[in-house]
Amino acid sequence: MGLLTELKSSISRATSSLFAGSEPKRIGIYGPPNAGKTTLANRIARDWTGDAIGPESHVPHETRRARRKENVEIKRNGKSVTIDVVDTPGVTTKVDYKEFLEHDIEKDDAVRRSREATEGVAEAMHWLREDVDGVIYVLDATEDPFTQVNTMLIGIIESQDLPVLIFANKIDLEEASVQRISNAFPQHETVPLSALEGDNMDEVYDKIAEYFG
Amino acid sequence: MPHQCTGCGHTFADGSKEMLSGCPECGGNKFQFHPEGEPVPENPEETPSTEEPPESPETPDSSVAETVGRATTKVRDFVSTRPDAPKDSPDPNAEWPSETGASSSETENPSTAESDGEIIDADARRKQREADDEDHAQASARSDVVSSNELPESERAGDSDDGDVGGLADVEPESGGRVVSEPSDEDPDLTELREQLNDQFESIKIVEPGQYELNLMELYDREEYIIALQENGRYVIQVPEQWMGDEPGDR
Repeated sequence: MGLLTELKSSISRATSSLFAGSEPKRIGIYGPPNAGKTTLANRIARDWTGDAIGPESHVPHETRRARRKENVEIKRNGKSVTIDVVDTPGVTTKVDYKEFLEHDIEKDDAVRRSREATEGVAEAMHWLREDVDGVIYVLDATEDPFTQVNTMLIGIIESQDLPVLIFANKIDLEEASVQRISNAFPQHETVPLSALEGDNMDEVYDKIAEYFG
Repeated sequence: MPHQCTGCGHTFADGSKEMLSGCPECGGNKFQFHPEGEPVPENPEETPSTEEPPESPETPDSSVAETVGRATTKVRDFVSTRPDAPKDSPDPNAEWPSETGASSSETENPSTAESDGEIIDADARRKQREADDEDHAQASARSDVVSSNELPESERAGDSDDGDVGGLADVEPESGGRVVSEPSDEDPDLTELREQLNDQFESIKIVEPGQYELNLMELYDREEYIIALQENGRYVIQVPEQWMGDEPGDR
């Protein structure tokens, strides 16, 4: 028994040292609610693994638990980058069940969703502290990027010295302004895209490989 | 001389009520409290700047720390509806409610109007803050400490004669001095304020079932992880492993 345990541990040591150099980085997809984080996560996961990560919805806070897709291998220019994609709940400072009522959700359900969404934000903040190696910060390019939540999250990410890419999503919409986002965060690279339409995904993957490879 | 006018530097004795109707020297109504044994600075203007949060503009564009500091301040501002509320401190030498109002707003900028630190320079921010302080100090002086029915005489006296106010403290030591000098006097208003302040620094505030306010910085800062909220306002938390000793293999 002792011999077996020893053997087992020596094997696991060997395998871990074998893969130590190429351990996939855990990339958190962060941003305010309804920025398109899950749509992006699904796009990335479908493009490279064939599976989706979670359901997308127009209802805010659809993602109320962080979801992870491991070992997403992205191939760029003959090289390959393996990452774990973590789709996180939208971060906000206020959650109110009333906003769910507008989406034809019954009050009881809305209150429950609201509680879960709040737990989700707590979870997202916890992941940010403990468990991510890099961040894709997704913003809806039709919305004003100058918000308290954005400023604070970017500040936290910077304080952690995490590599971060800012994605200006929803460029398929007429009101989208990528410039407004790059002006808001000039210290970071802003990549325009439409996760829904799949616009500019080549650049998206180039940048992911460059930043998180 | 525990009180000092932040305008002209004029100092007042502990318990003095001269300042209740404004500084006799310059008419200023913002005072800094210096506990006994602490030196009173010569230049009153220096006091606020040393109490600035770490976001003070020494390295304007360097830093992350600054960004986060700013962010923290913003969160606190955002959550805080009463920045002039007194701190919950049992220390008898602690600042008095009115002074706390004036000085704590130095560190907790009550302005929520600033939406983006990047485009507001530090000087503008400080001016804005001072302007706000003025308002809060006035408001807190009016509402929290000196109720008008308690101090009608001394107020009138103070207004009528600036030069003679030095004697007033001796004439009426009771009514005026008492109001400001007994912070331990637990009126219900104060207790309520205290509770409010405590609430504001929680990670998650339950406004009512289904309505939550989140203090993101607190959520980020705390080691334990909130995994479930309960209707009664309690959290279920996951305690970090190191608090429980070594649990090999689990992580």
